[in-house]
Amino acid sequence: MDKWLDLLSLVDFISVGILLSTVAMNTLRRIESCVKAYRLNSLLLSLLIFITAFTVGDVHLYAAGALTLLSKALIIPMFLSRTIKQMKVTHEVQPYISNGLSLVISGILVSLVYASLSEGIFVTGFSKNVLQISVAVIMIGLFIMITRKKAITQVIGLLVMENGLFLAGFSLTFGMPTIIELGILFDMLMVVLILGIFAIQIKKVFASSDLDRLTTLKG
Amino acid sequence: MECGYKIEKVLKMNTQLLIYFSVILFIAGAFAPLVPAIRSTKLPYLFPAAGSFMLGVYGLAVCFGLPGGSVARAEVLPFLTYSFSVDGLSGFFILIISVLSFCATVYCAGYYSSGSERMPFALFNIFVLSMYAVVTASNVPTFLIAWETMSLSSYFLVTLRGDDSSAKAGLLYIVMTHIGTAFIMVMFLVLYKSTGSMEFSAMKAASASLPANTVYAVFLLSLAGFGTKAGLIPLHTWLPRAHPAAPSAVSALMSGVMIKTGIYGFVRMNFTITGSSPEWFGIVLIVLGGVSCIFGVLYAYMEQDIKRVLAYSSIENVGIIFLGLGSSMLFRSGGFYALSALAATAAMYHVMNHAFFKGLLFLGAGSVLHSTHTVNMERLGGLVKLMPWTGLFFLVGSISISALPPFNGFVSEWLTFQSLLLGFNSPSIIAKIIAPLGGAALALTGALSAACFVKAFGISFLGKPRSQEASSSVEAHPLMLIGMAILAVLCLAGGLMPGAASDMVAAAVFQMTGTAAMSTGWHSLFIAGTFSSLSPALILLTMLVMAGAALIFVLFVSGRRKIRQSCSWDCGIKSLDHRMQYSAAAFSKPIKLIFKRIYLPSRDVRISYLLKPLFVRSMTYRGSITQVVEKMFYEKITSRIGAFAEKMKALQAGNLNLYLGYILATLIFLLIFWT
Repeated sequence: MDKWLDLLSLVDFISVGILLSTVAMNTLRRIESCVKAYRLNSLLLSLLIFITAFTVGDVHLYAAGALTLLSKALIIPMFLSRTIKQMKVTHEVQPYISNGLSLVISGILVSLVYASLSEGIFVTGFSKNVLQISVAVIMIGLFIMITRKKAITQVIGLLVMENGLFLAGFSLTFGMPTIIELGILFDMLMVVLILGIFAIQIKKVFASSDLDRLTTLKG
Repeated sequence: MECGYKIEKVLKMNTQLLIYFSVILFIAGAFAPLVPAIRSTKLPYLFPAAGSFMLGVYGLAVCFGLPGGSVARAEVLPFLTYSFSVDGLSGFFILIISVLSFCATVYCAGYYSSGSERMPFALFNIFVLSMYAVVTASNVPTFLIAWETMSLSSYFLVTLRGDDSSAKAGLLYIVMTHIGTAFIMVMFLVLYKSTGSMEFSAMKAASASLPANTVYAVFLLSLAGFGTKAGLIPLHTWLPRAHPAAPSAVSALMSGVMIKTGIYGFVRMNFTITGSSPEWFGIVLIVLGGVSCIFGVLYAYMEQDIKRVLAYSSIENVGIIFLGLGSSMLFRSGGFYALSALAATAAMYHVMNHAFFKGLLFLGAGSVLHSTHTVNMERLGGLVKLMPWTGLFFLVGSISISALPPFNGFVSEWLTFQSLLLGFNSPSIIAKIIAPLGGAALALTGALSAACFVKAFGISFLGKPRSQEASSSVEAHPLMLIGMAILAVLCLAGGLMPGAASDMVAAAVFQMTGTAAMSTGWHSLFIAGTFSSLSPALILLTMLVMAGAALIFVLFVSGRRKIRQSCSWDCGIKSLDHRMQYSAAAFSKPIKLIFKRIYLPSRDVRISYLLKPLFVRSMTYRGSITQVVEKMFYEKITSRIGAFAEKMKALQAGNLNLYLGYILATLIFLLIFWT
């Protein structure tokens, strides 16, 4: 019982860290810092999985944690930084709305999620907070995608959303079946690769990596 | 007893090994051309040929009573279990897929040995393999995955040529086939909802207690879904465009067996899974089948392009098969199970026959295309002298498809005819009227299709060459000829040994109707006791005796005569020109006039004069016919959809962030209001 209590507070602590690192992305001005925030986000996620794996004693969870660590905290951020270097763009994030406003909206999103998920779904897993936090992370990730102009920041938003999804699945069932996790991870790697190439191509064709230039493609 | 059980077990293990080995052969064959050392040899053809040969033997064994059962089962994900099993019906389709893919592979080995084209091994093998998967899938996810693999691989084969027209044909094909798949998915969901299982066997077990509305829904949805693949009118529009666009060997497979997977799906759903039906099911099928065969053959008759003629004629033959299926359903609802089995035999027999002769004809058309680079009849002619074997095989195919004895088309159409005429046994008055009307439609179709293939063979192979390409054509590669010869022999065998062939389809018919079909000898058929009987071998014998008698009469009885040698039909003028021949358009003119209410023909004659009334410099004639179904049905639908899409365009601003905003708005809406 004692052990579970410790685990609960630890898990809550880490997942709040995940939420904060996501919210922090709203205020960052440089794309590189966004990548760093994402790396922190993924590190916390894998830490959370490792701790749970240690407590529950499930080999499958260790594997999931190792995979998360390897792909999301190491490989994907590496690709992202390389793409940013290759693009040689200004390193400004260039959001549509001001940082202050986006912080406020993130806050509203979090409270909205808490308000609507406070009851109804009773989580059989280990903490009552993780599900709400994960949904909030998904929402904020989507919000980041909406408010940013650069293709690369949209990729980061998508990745954050995926972290949120992973957390949600994890909080409900202690992780999805291995093959699905593998599939999702592979998808993520591909998305980063392909979008990296796309971003460079968009930059080449439109002489800018702002996605609003794509409006001219409309028939 | 113990011993028998053991033998059965060993047999089962060995057949399973055989199946796995064949599948591995197909997959290996897809990658074989990547190995540089064997790329330019004939070795890669060996893989699909051997694979389809072994599966063909297996299919034949199943048809003659080898127990089937589950052959492979693998749980991949929750809700996704790959499961394959074989019964009499699957075995029968495995057999015809194997025969055609074997012949097509042998043919391709010759076809691609010269010229610039390369054999699309990977697509071809995946396509054939996916057809096997469709007819053996034993649960819904497996079936749908196999079905989609088949559709997509055939789509890529249709667009293989890479030009504008094949891209358009491919687009139409993939749109139509996905509309069909949508119907199929809804049908499976309806069945799942009322049976609670995704396994075909469980669906079948629960089918007796299905509510009537579910059975109706399954019938109509499967008719729309599988009818699209089979090419039933009015869902046929993709077929005459997509089939000719593919490489000829693939056209043979598409027309010969791929559209039959539509029939397989329909039969699997409506005969083996849901077992009972009200009378109007059969009537709907007979009406649709009759319309399909008459319109199919009428449009085939108007085409100048051999491959398009063959594609339209596939629609006609699918119509004939549906006539058989319809009368089988009609009899089943009336409780005449023996007659139902008879009609099902007719339909399955025609499935097989059409696969053989349509495959043969497409391969023949491919040889013509390979040699002359055109399949436009107006540019062919006289080919029978330059390509005698191809000509002979094409003639065999033409006779078979025209339902003339002693070839196979005759037997199955005769059986269909008999079963439709026996419709007067049915208790209801509508059925008594509709079934013989279906018979009348079949009779008209037979005559028109004979005329159609007289035109196709006569204009292309007889007379004088109409173009430089036609006069310089050469006989096809021996391997191509072997591919065609196998099918030609099978056409003859199917005609001469109807008893043996109907024994072969008996297992499939038993799966469909639960009744063993009919009493037969190997060379003759007896229907409904003493209603009628048929022995094509005797017909052939009679024909031979008559011909011999005629010969004897001419040679010995009628006395000696002077032999004069001259050009035929030259009316005394020497040096006949190829432009003086009857053209394909002229040949089809009388029918065009008779059926002008259906064709709605339009003509456009332009004359340019040197001096107004008398001296003509040149005349051009352009005739076309109206595709009634497309005009009445599709043009209206597409214009409606176009107008709707125009309105929806406002949503599509082209701004990615806005699109993401839509998603966020939806998510927040759901989050707040869902609970």
